[in-house]
Amino acid sequence: MKNLSILVVDDDPVIRRLIQQRLEKANYPVEVAKDGTEASDLLNSKYYDVVLTDLMMPGGIGGIEVLEIAKALHSNTEVVLITAHSSVDTAVEAMKKGAADYLEKPVNFDELFLKLDKIANLKTILRNAQDLQQAMDTTENVASQTIQDLEMRVARLDELLDAVETSLTNTDEDEDVRIAKALALLAKR
Amino acid sequence: MIKITPSELNLIAQYIHEISGIYLDQSKSYLFETRLGAIAERLGCKSYQDFYNKAKRDLTRNIERQIIDAISTNETLFFRDKGPFELLQHKLLPEIIDRRTPKAPNLKTNIRIWSAAASTGQELYSIAIIIKELLRDLSRYAITLLGTDISDSAISQASYGKYNKFEIERGLDQRYLQRYFSLFGDSWKIKDEIRAMVNFRKLNLMAPFTSLGKFDIIFCRNVAIYFTLEDRKKLFNRIADSLADDGFLIIGSTESLSGVCPRFVPKRHLRAIFYQKNN
Repeated sequence: MKNLSILVVDDDPVIRRLIQQRLEKANYPVEVAKDGTEASDLLNSKYYDVVLTDLMMPGGIGGIEVLEIAKALHSNTEVVLITAHSSVDTAVEAMKKGAADYLEKPVNFDELFLKLDKIANLKTILRNAQDLQQAMDTTENVASQTIQDLEMRVARLDELLDAVETSLTNTDEDEDVRIAKALALLAKR
Repeated sequence: MIKITPSELNLIAQYIHEISGIYLDQSKSYLFETRLGAIAERLGCKSYQDFYNKAKRDLTRNIERQIIDAISTNETLFFRDKGPFELLQHKLLPEIIDRRTPKAPNLKTNIRIWSAAASTGQELYSIAIIIKELLRDLSRYAITLLGTDISDSAISQASYGKYNKFEIERGLDQRYLQRYFSLFGDSWKIKDEIRAMVNFRKLNLMAPFTSLGKFDIIFCRNVAIYFTLEDRKKLFNRIADSLADDGFLIIGSTESLSGVCPRFVPKRHLRAIFYQKNN
């Protein structure tokens, strides 16, 4: 099973069934919604890596609204729109709103699988980058505590050495008194 | 891809140091090739010697700008390390405000803060957000928040104040996101009330900066790590000149000033360190 979960949203039962079968055959975990309302319910109940939605659907919730709902719930969900050739402009507008890509009808499955591979690759790269950032943050936290401790210690020792020097060079006092005072300072280290 | 020869590596490394102060490790030749290769090829260069000659002869200094953009690191985020910002909110700002508030009731309190390696602006906007949260009504204050960086493209992104979801997601509290940013297509844009509090301008830290005036608080985090020890010493000495006598300096959480600048003494507050001048 591929690790990209997909929600297919299309009001046309024939197309919906076709996409579902092809994706399942290619080993993708797939769920379907018959319209925007059902898609919205499913999106609210669980996370999908990719939402593949028709742009034009009857009822109040079309493809653009599905995109907005999916992105608002999970910014990591990628949305691919399926559009008629005449609505390419709308699809481009949708990409400005955060859609990952669009496909023109009739759906070319080679093209769809290519786009899904691309999304999977991007998600892997993103995951690696996040892991690296996480590792860097951890290293940085540990290092910064060590460095802070050392920085304060160096400052304390500098101060101590200054005091020892003052004590040793204080010619108002006898040598043994100076040494005793310096040793007393050093003992506090 | 154009290969870089050892003598070209030396030449380019010196040139980069000269224009930016950044010291690149010459054992990492891939770093030069991956970051500069595209610029060299766009210019139709046959070799890095050729690239160097073109850059030196370019009176518009356009190539120099592209090189600086390519080699400077813009890794930054909102509230990078919580420590310094908690320090700012709970100790440094209250102390500065206490000392700077004039006796006369109708005079404004002057506060000047400098983010010396502002990159794409996240640090300075985080500071502005903290100030806004802490003071609410800014009418009784005259606040200067200046961000400088050597990279033109970093400064222009900072000025625009627009960040994609990856830049936003790390470090920024949801509460602050909702309050101080508006959704702008697929990205987030800082709101005007915060944008209006800050200024950005281009500055090479190797060049003189006394003309900026004195500051109460200076953030100079994670930039000196790219400089040689000699350059670091000079930089922090000049930063000491630009800091008010009772001002505060904050450096990166993994940086140290011991052996770099004896004019600064470290002080610890909670989990963060700040520096003051030993006047």
